[in-house]
Amino acid sequence: MRLGLTHMGNLYVGIRGIASKVGCELVVTPPTTQLTLSLGVKYSPETVCLPFKLQLGNMIEALEMGADTLVMPGGPGPCRFGYYNKLHKMILHEMDYKFHLVTQERGIMHIIRSLTGGAPLQQVIDGFRFGIAKLNAIENLERLAHKMRAIERNRGEATRIFRESVKAIDETEDHKSFKQIRKEYEQKLTSLPTVESPAPLKIGITGEVFIVLDPFANMDIEIELGKLGVEVRRTLFIGDWVKLNPFIYKLGLREKDRSHRAALPYLARHVGGDGWQSVGEKVLHARDWDGLIHIEPFGCVPEIMARNIMPYTKEALPVLDIIFDEHTGRAGVINRLEAFVDMIRRKKRKRKVQVCA
Amino acid sequence: MIRVGVPRALLYYQYYPMWKTFFESLGAEVVVSPTTTQAMVSSGASRVVAETCLPAKVFLGHTLTLADKCDFMFIPVVRSVRKKTYNCSKFLGLPDMCRAVIPESPPILEPEIDVNRGQRDLYLAIYRLGRRFTWNPRKVKQAAQAAWQSHLDYLNLMSSDKLTPPQAIERLTGTSQPSLFGDRLEIPLNPFRVNLQDEPPFTKGDIPHSPVSHSLEKRNGQKKNSEMSGTHKATIAVIGHSYILYDEHISHRIIHRLEQAGAKVLTPDMLMRQELEAAVIKITGRVYWTQEEEVVGAGVHYLESAVDGIIGLTTFGCGPDSLMMDVVRRQATKLKNVPFMSLTLDEHTAEGGLITRLEAFLDMLQRKKRGKSEVCASA
Repeated sequence: MRLGLTHMGNLYVGIRGIASKVGCELVVTPPTTQLTLSLGVKYSPETVCLPFKLQLGNMIEALEMGADTLVMPGGPGPCRFGYYNKLHKMILHEMDYKFHLVTQERGIMHIIRSLTGGAPLQQVIDGFRFGIAKLNAIENLERLAHKMRAIERNRGEATRIFRESVKAIDETEDHKSFKQIRKEYEQKLTSLPTVESPAPLKIGITGEVFIVLDPFANMDIEIELGKLGVEVRRTLFIGDWVKLNPFIYKLGLREKDRSHRAALPYLARHVGGDGWQSVGEKVLHARDWDGLIHIEPFGCVPEIMARNIMPYTKEALPVLDIIFDEHTGRAGVINRLEAFVDMIRRKKRKRKVQVCA
Repeated sequence: MIRVGVPRALLYYQYYPMWKTFFESLGAEVVVSPTTTQAMVSSGASRVVAETCLPAKVFLGHTLTLADKCDFMFIPVVRSVRKKTYNCSKFLGLPDMCRAVIPESPPILEPEIDVNRGQRDLYLAIYRLGRRFTWNPRKVKQAAQAAWQSHLDYLNLMSSDKLTPPQAIERLTGTSQPSLFGDRLEIPLNPFRVNLQDEPPFTKGDIPHSPVSHSLEKRNGQKKNSEMSGTHKATIAVIGHSYILYDEHISHRIIHRLEQAGAKVLTPDMLMRQELEAAVIKITGRVYWTQEEEVVGAGVHYLESAVDGIIGLTTFGCGPDSLMMDVVRRQATKLKNVPFMSLTLDEHTAEGGLITRLEAFLDMLQRKKRGKSEVCASA
């Protein structure tokens, strides 16, 4: 069995970590490119959301590279995500590919069991611990990189080191060297030369999980914000997603999440996708962030619901909505980010002047 | 008397008799908004972001017209009516969205119907809803039982007498759906010149009693244009959500147009629930969305029965439909026996463009029938 991997940001690092421990052969496709997107768009329905198209492109690339098994998570729920696998299967079968698609229909344990081919449970747990540890390490480094990008003296250093670290973490095989690497890169990031400047703006990023987590889909929005001297705050990370979605939310703990509780007065229930969380983040961080960027794929119904509700919350926070689809241009996104950041800066300056006067 | 407002949109077409019975047995008066107009759509659309789907905009328009005419607005959250089958996101966020964008709306009644949480939660939701009107739990229980009975009556009436939802609602509750346009169409479609049916055309009296062979205007029980009342020259299935098909403003009266052209129109409601479910399971394995049967189920079923053509109606930006219509389209391409056309509607869809496409589709059906031999000869 050769498992074809679909990309979502740095998810592949975690999956590779798990696979190396449970002895499952992976076909790691090259990172998502414009070609992947074109392939996906060509064979997808027109008005489906961007993650569908990117995932389909990844799948086609993986199958071309000789994969014979694909995984598409997503159980029942109001979002389109759970329906993806049915259409993916139809489309790929129409294209005459021979493969086996593992879905979450029969639970997460079914996926694990059918992919590990009956490896002992201890080994599987060990694999998951290793994979999630890797993702957590990346998460920590990513948070650091978000901070450093805003204040580094030589633009681009933090990004370069972060990318190196992802590569190094991906290549480690055991817990021991992994810890060392983690420390080493944390050290490297914190010791970057910085500029002396007042505290940078803090801008949050929230929205649909795939677009938030995948740098290709969101046009490296974090790096672009870093270049503008903005400290990015993000509450959604891949490690969380891997932990929360299949395991913790299944226990019915979704309602207890902080951001969900904060959203309750405005949106009382889960609407599928990440709509609930998006509203919650705005309410929750209205005091401590300077602005919020809400990103979503075109036509995402949960996020549209959130976008309708967000302007009417009592807690005021400037929000910029950016909608991504296959035609979104990088320059347009950068332009809007610049305008947004300028606006927040001006607002902040005005407030300061008023306070002084 | 407490007045409860029910917008004539979205789930209205599926559950109105049930709601009406429930509120009336609790001593409340039910106020329904009038049929959709352009003004309603515009007023609803002006409150929300542009990508919100057309049915939701229409719903908001209805809510706006009801805002000053009732004491409570009834917007239920129907999360799931069957285990592990969910409704589209817009149904779940509707009350919160209405509260946000329509601040002038009266208090919203929002019972959450979710069978996944168990019977107790379901009963509790109904009980809490009823407690707004009476202190007596027994009364709530009786009202709920009566409501469920009238829902069953409604479903039976539709499948036994072959009525469309608006007709069944009219007969059961007396709430009619007056046509804004009257019986006349400003731009009628060209009537069929070629008879697509192989069997001899039948007259109104002897329509066979199979579930799919009744026409809308037979069920309507009223006489329409004399030239087309007797015979049907083609059978065309129109699939889509009930809140699109039966809202004359959204659908541009497509059913009526097809009938005037001489076609027999079939809709998803004319099929039994089991048939629809079986069709869905055959294609995708499991029913995923509550509304999936109306699209995938009906589409696949009609593809395999002898209809002359299928028209799929969706609205722009509909999340579930973007995938479900594609499933039907792919199945139609695979089977290659029934022509399938998908029409995407939004608030800008002009009548003229729609008619052109419909005419082209009907022409194609006729040419397919008539020209087979000619094409063979000339080729």
